[in-house]
Amino acid sequence: MSDSEEYASGSLMEDEEEEEQESASDQEKDFGLDNSVTVSKKPAYRILKGETLEERRKQALEEVTGVLGITEEDAARLLRRFKWDVTRVHEEWFSNYDAVRASVGLQDEAPVPSTSQATCMICFESYPTDQMYSASCRHLFCHDCWQGYTSTAIADGPACLDLRCPDPKCTACVPTSIIKRTAPPEALAKYQSFCVRSFVEDNRSLVWCVGRGCECAVECCVDRTADEALDVICSSCGATFCFNCKEEAHRPVSCEWVRKWAIKNSAESENVHWIIANTKPCPRCSRPIEKNQGCMHMTCSQCRFEFCWLCQGDWKEHGDRTGGFFNCNRYDAAKRKGDYDEETRKRDNAKQSLERYMHYFERWDAHQKARNKAKADQARISADWLERLSEQTKTPSSQLKFIMDAWSQIIECRRVLSWTYTYGYYALEDMDHKASSTKEGNSSAEENQRFFFEFLQADAERSLERLHEAAEVQLKKVMENNSTAQGNGAPLDLDSFMAFRTHLIGLTDVTRGYFEKLVRQLEKGFEDLERDFGGGSAEEAALIETTL
Amino acid sequence: MNSAQEAQAAQLPRRIIKETQRLLSEPAPGISASPSEDNLRYFNVMILGPSQSPYEGGVFKLELFLPEDYPMAPPKVRFLTKIYHPNVDKLGRICLDILKDKWSPALQIRTVLLSIQALLSAPNPDDPLADNVAQHWKSDEPGAIRTARDWTLRFAQS
Repeated sequence: MSDSEEYASGSLMEDEEEEEQESASDQEKDFGLDNSVTVSKKPAYRILKGETLEERRKQALEEVTGVLGITEEDAARLLRRFKWDVTRVHEEWFSNYDAVRASVGLQDEAPVPSTSQATCMICFESYPTDQMYSASCRHLFCHDCWQGYTSTAIADGPACLDLRCPDPKCTACVPTSIIKRTAPPEALAKYQSFCVRSFVEDNRSLVWCVGRGCECAVECCVDRTADEALDVICSSCGATFCFNCKEEAHRPVSCEWVRKWAIKNSAESENVHWIIANTKPCPRCSRPIEKNQGCMHMTCSQCRFEFCWLCQGDWKEHGDRTGGFFNCNRYDAAKRKGDYDEETRKRDNAKQSLERYMHYFERWDAHQKARNKAKADQARISADWLERLSEQTKTPSSQLKFIMDAWSQIIECRRVLSWTYTYGYYALEDMDHKASSTKEGNSSAEENQRFFFEFLQADAERSLERLHEAAEVQLKKVMENNSTAQGNGAPLDLDSFMAFRTHLIGLTDVTRGYFEKLVRQLEKGFEDLERDFGGGSAEEAALIETTL
Repeated sequence: MNSAQEAQAAQLPRRIIKETQRLLSEPAPGISASPSEDNLRYFNVMILGPSQSPYEGGVFKLELFLPEDYPMAPPKVRFLTKIYHPNVDKLGRICLDILKDKWSPALQIRTVLLSIQALLSAPNPDDPLADNVAQHWKSDEPGAIRTARDWTLRFAQS
């Protein structure tokens, strides 16, 4: 993958933020981290706000009116016809002049009829010709019939932009002047909004932001194939979605897998939701537990048992001391290997495929939920704590942006992690089936691929959990220590706060770099995984240690 | 016109009245259309099967209704007589562009009925409404034409 196709988060930065981004990468240089991971040289997309869109639309129109010497109205017809591709309009105009003009309904003016009275061919009434209108073809119709014609067309949708003369044999386009003269005010407003919306809707490199009520458009700035996923975050409303399929952002998973996954989820949802909703008792005391904190480190409020929400194993075994890290992401198809007779195998296959799906779905779902929780937490912290913290630390709240950055990173990582399970479900599908249906299991190469994938995933989870814990638990501690020791509103212990600040910024950067790399690697597929990723991760694991 | 029809006619747009008058006074060859007694927007239509088509010798009944926003919206037309045709489905609905997106208010009842008559002369199995009939037409045209002729004899005799 070339540099220009790099992970898009760099493009989200507004100008001032970009500077910070650069200083952050300087910091990484000191840690010996590969810079190309975090600094995007060319943004993959741009968010265009209302005014910018209008400017760009006008600019495109001017380019065409200027070169072809035609009216803005006719330029708009040509641009819509050629998907707002200015170069293409120029090319087609000069190479196929007659055909292009005919295709958008541009005709030479027909001679004005000499009669003073004419019959409207819609209502069959006779009118003085000076009270009737026509397109360049001079097929005259009366005001009332034009009104009915234009308002019906506008009510039918944006196709009214290409309205033609009512005469069934005539292809002349209806000039905007007739629409302005005859359409009722609401219809006219609608027509004008179609004109503006066409710039985005008929344009290959633009889509509307999917955020509710958001009026921004997204422009894709890189070459992409027709079905290629491109994650977009709207800098205006914060919506995250895929440029291609408009579903929630889902890299490193392809749009096709997302479609399949959504169908699978709705088909299996009743089974799985019931099981998930009903089977999270505390692993020790069996009391039902509701997860109310974002990270996976759970403590039972009854028996104080600490465990991992994902695998329900003892939390102690997730520590570095045992060398276990996050083993719970691994789907152990191998343990189901064994001697099966044909009957048992058939019976088990169905059960296993549900089990296998549940394994991935449950983790996908847990991260989705954790992501929503993190979004809510971020909003809460921003609303409740930031001002207080700003007072206590005597720093402007703009200086506390690092806390929000950490949370944004958590939300982003939860999303990516969630999709790595969908990725695993499809990418490892053949392997898991083979492992469970044959005694031989997989070749060592396949096992290596699986091992690397799960190692990366586990590592990613581990670095995210660390960040999440810092942003959630440690921040709370910093705040609480202060308020219990010195009462509310007293100045904070600045040294410990600055230490926390450095720590959190470091963790955010490292985690961002790690996830960006992970996404790019998974998109490349398994073949290159080992070669490209094998060396670096141990080094980075050590780096995470040093930043702590 | 009786008095009830006259009362209704007073509320009809001039265009519909004129069209009706012209349909009755100068009918198109092989086509008759007359408004229903109790609803002047509802027409009973008969189309004779065109010569040299499998529908020759048949009399096909149709109904035609002018909706409130006619002529801005197209008339609704449907075959009442059973017909074996790739662009007409079991319910008699017709696949014809001018009855849908190619409608223009400058078209009329007369032009619509002439188009339907032309469709009987030239079935278009590439734009089918009745899938199985269209399939039959494409795979075995002589056989499909035999079936159409057979149906004409069985169902389309006045």
